[in-house]
Amino acid sequence: MSIALTTADQPCEHILRAGNTNCAGCGMSLGLQLLEQGLDGARPTLAIPACCGIVTAGAFPTSGYGVPVAATTFASSAAVATGLSTIAELNEETEPVICWAGDGGTYDIGLATLSAAAERNENIIYICYDNEIYGNTGGQRSSATPEGVRTTTTPKGKCEVKKDIMRIMTAHRIPYAATLSIAHREDFLQKIRTAAATRGFRFLLLLSPCPTGWKSEPDESVDLIEYAVRCGLFPLYEVFDGERYRVNVRPDGTPLEEYTSRQRRYTSADVDLGHLQSEILKQWRLLDGLCNAFPAEGKMAGRAPKRN
Amino acid sequence: MREFMTGNQAVVRAAIRAGCNYFAGYPITPASSILTEFVKAFADGRGTIVQTEDEIAAIGQCIGAAMAGAKALTASSGPGLSLYSENIGLAQMAETPLVIVDCQRMGPSTGGATATGEGDVMFARFVSGGGYPLPVLAACDAATAYRLTIDAFNIAERFRTPVILLSSKDVALTRQTVDLGAIELPEVADRSPHDDGDGWRGPYAVDQPADIPRFAPIGGDTLVRVTGSIHDERGVLTNDRAKIQAKLTHLFEKIESRAEELERFDADIDPIAETLIICYGGADGAVREAVATMRERGEAISRLTLYTLWPIAARAIRDAVTWRVRRVIMPELNIGLYADALRPILAPLAIESIRRYDGGLISPETICEQAGNEAIA
Repeated sequence: MSIALTTADQPCEHILRAGNTNCAGCGMSLGLQLLEQGLDGARPTLAIPACCGIVTAGAFPTSGYGVPVAATTFASSAAVATGLSTIAELNEETEPVICWAGDGGTYDIGLATLSAAAERNENIIYICYDNEIYGNTGGQRSSATPEGVRTTTTPKGKCEVKKDIMRIMTAHRIPYAATLSIAHREDFLQKIRTAAATRGFRFLLLLSPCPTGWKSEPDESVDLIEYAVRCGLFPLYEVFDGERYRVNVRPDGTPLEEYTSRQRRYTSADVDLGHLQSEILKQWRLLDGLCNAFPAEGKMAGRAPKRN
Repeated sequence: MREFMTGNQAVVRAAIRAGCNYFAGYPITPASSILTEFVKAFADGRGTIVQTEDEIAAIGQCIGAAMAGAKALTASSGPGLSLYSENIGLAQMAETPLVIVDCQRMGPSTGGATATGEGDVMFARFVSGGGYPLPVLAACDAATAYRLTIDAFNIAERFRTPVILLSSKDVALTRQTVDLGAIELPEVADRSPHDDGDGWRGPYAVDQPADIPRFAPIGGDTLVRVTGSIHDERGVLTNDRAKIQAKLTHLFEKIESRAEELERFDADIDPIAETLIICYGGADGAVREAVATMRERGEAISRLTLYTLWPIAARAIRDAVTWRVRRVIMPELNIGLYADALRPILAPLAIESIRRYDGGLISPETICEQAGNEAIA
């Protein structure tokens, strides 16, 4: 039996191939393309747990990735990546090992292995594309889902606040942690370059629009993230060694409503914009306080991982 | 009243009818709609629903709630059953009533998230270290899912054990017309309370190995200790070999000695038939259609559908094998796993396995064709 050669068999310079089956307006797709640009030709090995990102790996012939991908179990992407990076280092390979995981696999089921890999300062770049929902299984809430948002398991709006994964990860004193915006390309690329040039555990958080789950228009995905940054909901910042902070983009007074009104997941009667706005102010007081007390200055050298 | 519903919806309706008041689960295809149906069903506050951070938490919460007196259910698929594994052992050792629905899909690992398969039939029985038994039931469609969910709760309550109800992607997600009112249902059973009469000697005390200890909720007016370690009748860790032997014999005997009582099956036996088809789960519909087709052609054929997979319904199987039976055919949506379990019971008769594990279903034509072939054995 002969099989026709398709794009999936061809050598390909892109991490994310054309012809993948991702939804229109998917923030993850744009994130993967910006990741590639930021890596400046490096060819990462990806470890991806259960999430839309592994659906991207896809069925023949629409296989979505042009780099090696290990599909891991839901809870263990950081553990599998630990194994991959350890052997890669022994083989003196220099290409990065990257975990590419959704919020479910990061904030929820994968948090134990993520925390342990960070604590050991494994030589991994961990990127969470956070669409604030279990998009792959039908739109259930996760602990990244914001307060008040409707999902299939919070039909009246979520009661709990969104977990602050950046504070959790920076508490591990990892060499580098940063937030990424698909609407701020240069900032995104610079942070990928910084992460790639740093050794040890690096954590990057990407707010990733999901038009299906957010009930937004696909052509507004980039605008939504721009509004999220400008209104202060999603701060763009970096943390070095868990103790030196730098804010990259400051809010400009854009009303929160610019962001929420374009997503029907925010239509619950329980959504209190005044309350959400006060939460944003609290978040910025904390961030500004940390930046003032522990500013990031000069050249940043990450903590090199140690092996016993 | 005839309704149009999925197997997952039938499970939720039946669970509530059986008194289920606690559900914890984690999203996974094809079980997620049990979670979302419970969100709707418990919106009025008649039960607690929690979407947990993973499957370990889901079953852990259910065990905690059940230890405190709730009727608890969790639901997942093969990958989630893997994560339930350790806690199922705890529920066995602590004799905690609990129902687990496994909406099977193609395995191993992620397998086919949206492809069918019934490869957990052995895994369900041997899911926990130690090898001690737990009852495993298998639904064929929405109607049997409804009936068996109530059975599963009753068995869990009466025998203080985790019970696994197997479903599969096609049973879980296919919408079917069901008349719930026409389904013959057992009375709803509850665990025997510790304060029902005198002579209570502790949360795990039994006179005979197969007896069921009366239940006292943890945190109630009686001191209850719960542990996954080997323990005596009070729930206190023990090194006394006689007590260890008694406890573990009890875990075995309370299930295996009731094998006949736990048998759930549907037999359609033609006394002159030389061919018997044994099936369970998703193959049942195709088998029924194949049997009808063959009978229309004037052929004699028998069918046995097993709803209880563990303990093995040995009596029902032996009764179905009349003295005329020369051939046993067994279609399965896996690599022929359960046929291996039945071979010692059916020997010297051979089992002709029809195996399908590519994510598709076994068709009635395939079964007719196999029955029409000369026996391979």
